[in-house]
Amino acid sequence: MSADTSAVTNMTASLNILQKPAALPSYVSTRNACKLCAPLGASLVFRGIEGAVPFLHGSQGCATYMRRYIISHFREPMDIAASGFSESSAIFGGGENLRRGLQNVTAQYKPSMIGVATTCLCETIGEDVAAMVREYQEAQIDLPTPQLVHVSTPSYSGTHVDGFHAAVRSVVATLATPEPEPSHHVNLLPGMVSAADIRYLKEIAEDFELSSIVLPDYSETLDGPALDAYEKIPAGGTPIQGIRSAAGARASIEFGRSIRQRDTAAAFLESTFGVRAHRLGLPIGINETDRFFSTLKDIADRPVPRQHEMERERLIDSYVDGHKYVFGKRAIVYGEEDLVVGLAALLAEIGIIPVLCASGGKSGALRQSIAEVAPSSPGVTEVCDYTDFMSIGEKAKLLKPDLLIGNSKGYGIARDLGIPLVRVGFPIHDRIGGQRILHLGYRGTQQLFDRIVNALLEHKQQTSEIGYSYM
Amino acid sequence: MRKVAIYGKGGIGKSTTTQNTVAALAEMGKKVMVVGCDPKADSTRLLLGGLAQRTVLDTLRDEGEEVDLDDIRRIGFGNTYCTESGGPEPGVGCAGRGIITSINLLEQLGAYKESIGLDYVFYDVLGDVVCGGFAMPIREGKAQEIYIVCSGEMMAMYAANNICKGIVKFANAGGVRLGGIICNSRKVDNEREMIEELARQLGTQMIHFVPRDNDVQRAEINRKTVIHWKPTCPQADEYRNLAKAMDANRMFVIPKPLEMSALEKLLMDFGLAEELGQDADATPAEIDLAAATPANTLACD
Repeated sequence: MSADTSAVTNMTASLNILQKPAALPSYVSTRNACKLCAPLGASLVFRGIEGAVPFLHGSQGCATYMRRYIISHFREPMDIAASGFSESSAIFGGGENLRRGLQNVTAQYKPSMIGVATTCLCETIGEDVAAMVREYQEAQIDLPTPQLVHVSTPSYSGTHVDGFHAAVRSVVATLATPEPEPSHHVNLLPGMVSAADIRYLKEIAEDFELSSIVLPDYSETLDGPALDAYEKIPAGGTPIQGIRSAAGARASIEFGRSIRQRDTAAAFLESTFGVRAHRLGLPIGINETDRFFSTLKDIADRPVPRQHEMERERLIDSYVDGHKYVFGKRAIVYGEEDLVVGLAALLAEIGIIPVLCASGGKSGALRQSIAEVAPSSPGVTEVCDYTDFMSIGEKAKLLKPDLLIGNSKGYGIARDLGIPLVRVGFPIHDRIGGQRILHLGYRGTQQLFDRIVNALLEHKQQTSEIGYSYM
Repeated sequence: MRKVAIYGKGGIGKSTTTQNTVAALAEMGKKVMVVGCDPKADSTRLLLGGLAQRTVLDTLRDEGEEVDLDDIRRIGFGNTYCTESGGPEPGVGCAGRGIITSINLLEQLGAYKESIGLDYVFYDVLGDVVCGGFAMPIREGKAQEIYIVCSGEMMAMYAANNICKGIVKFANAGGVRLGGIICNSRKVDNEREMIEELARQLGTQMIHFVPRDNDVQRAEINRKTVIHWKPTCPQADEYRNLAKAMDANRMFVIPKPLEMSALEKLLMDFGLAEELGQDADATPAEIDLAAATPANTLACD
């Protein structure tokens, strides 16, 4: 039977060759996805809220997989509770498991919040998790109960980034309450960035003398000190009271060109409470960072602090210094859509051609966003969304890039091509310090630029027959 | 052992027809097991004299894996074995997964073992093949022959055609075949001829025409099959004839599902035949002709 089918296929294929150039197959399934599960993004968000525990409604294996990924990137403990679907939960519904799980987590962790994200299984059988969570909270009205937040995260219709943004929106929509007195703070909604990025954003806001609430803030909960005793819920995270006050903020700043048309937390706060939303690209490269600093300048009504101006000037100076090493080089960038857009913006500034910009996401805005930030390379930049590592690898062989920029999952492609991989984003599983990679602002761009130049220099040095010690 | 699955639109009379046929087969001396695959668990009520049965899934949930065959299998009329899969309450969980789990458990427990000496297993399946779970009885060589209960009503025929699409899908892989269409009459115009023609176009047969009779309803109120409640009534003989036809059946086909337009045409040709005849002020003889051979009469339309 299968032999017959393949014979037919082969014959058709050879006929095609006779008639016209061999066409690529019209559909291939995803092979090594360039994206992760939606509840993983949601779990990161919940981990970045003070006293919160992430909870998955579904099978235990979902939680285990995400914990493994997060632990080996951050090298920190990461607890994710699960309602532990069994066969009978799949048949009769998992409502009872959810209730018992919430009770257990409440008793054992004494959290101030439990963030409930869904999984593919419970979404497929049509669990009404929103109603279950609401009923549970209502039934516990007289008992000390944590705040519950629910977010729908079926992985087959989104990526970890979609799960991340959906969780931020759910947290805000659940907690934000109209304030009698407006607060003067700014809501900073950076999206899925590193722990170092979050710390740096807080520092920038302080330098502008702006009080800020960064949501989420896993800069300490997923990059903390060595402790004598294990903390069930690590210290740190966005204070819940701060999230409640988001409705009275002076403004929101939200990063991500790919999500500008989406119903995000900033969009919700603007439409519901009139909080002005500044929706910017991820501040990578000088132009995108200038837009961010200009927004801060307007909101704070004060000039850019001198130390940041100096960081900008030094960055420009380094662009000049490193130009001869990078100009005309060809790079493939991949990963989360907005990270790819930011990196494309940086590459366009320094004269590296982003020959392929690839992502597993499918916001539909990737191509347009790249055209906006990297207008100098039309026609030479191939943009692929909703793609996978096998496709990226196949294209890479033809494109012959000089380097790859992305997460650890592309290492195999770099190895096959014998070119350097500059590690950014998530996950970084083959190096230490993924959580401390700085991507954003003048400082993050400076570090990225230095790493890119040095990766090219090191490659040149290593592949040279002469052992130059002066490059 | 012959493994039979009964499909058909919801409310068409699958459970009633199945149980009456099973009762007739039992009367013929056949050893039969009925596996109810409807979450409502009402497929064996007439054989058992009431809904006294604990379902497979309830038992599994309450007792864990340590289930005994006798916990989930009851003896009904004519020494038939009766089991009900059961399932979640309406609007919750996944009934389809329940069917899969339940059938797997019955197999593990040896409900189909040769030593039991079953002549027939009947799967009484909920309505349409809505998802993978409800296709379970026709997957992997479980049920080998399918009978579709149908009437001359549009939606029943539409469902029958849709079920045929499901059979085609599994026929190549699992070897399941269509054994025929059972017409459970709703006293629709030209019903017998229309279903015969539907069966012909699908490439199968109308294996029996079960006329509408209130004795079925009376027997149901008494929680019995007609065969059990009033063995001498004409309706009991109808089910006996259906059982005999099934027992003797050798016509097992992969059906050819109809296009929607063909199905609509069938309904127009037969369902409106008399009305059209009267509108045209036809003579009684012509009306009779139209009623007798509607397809031929209106084919030129």
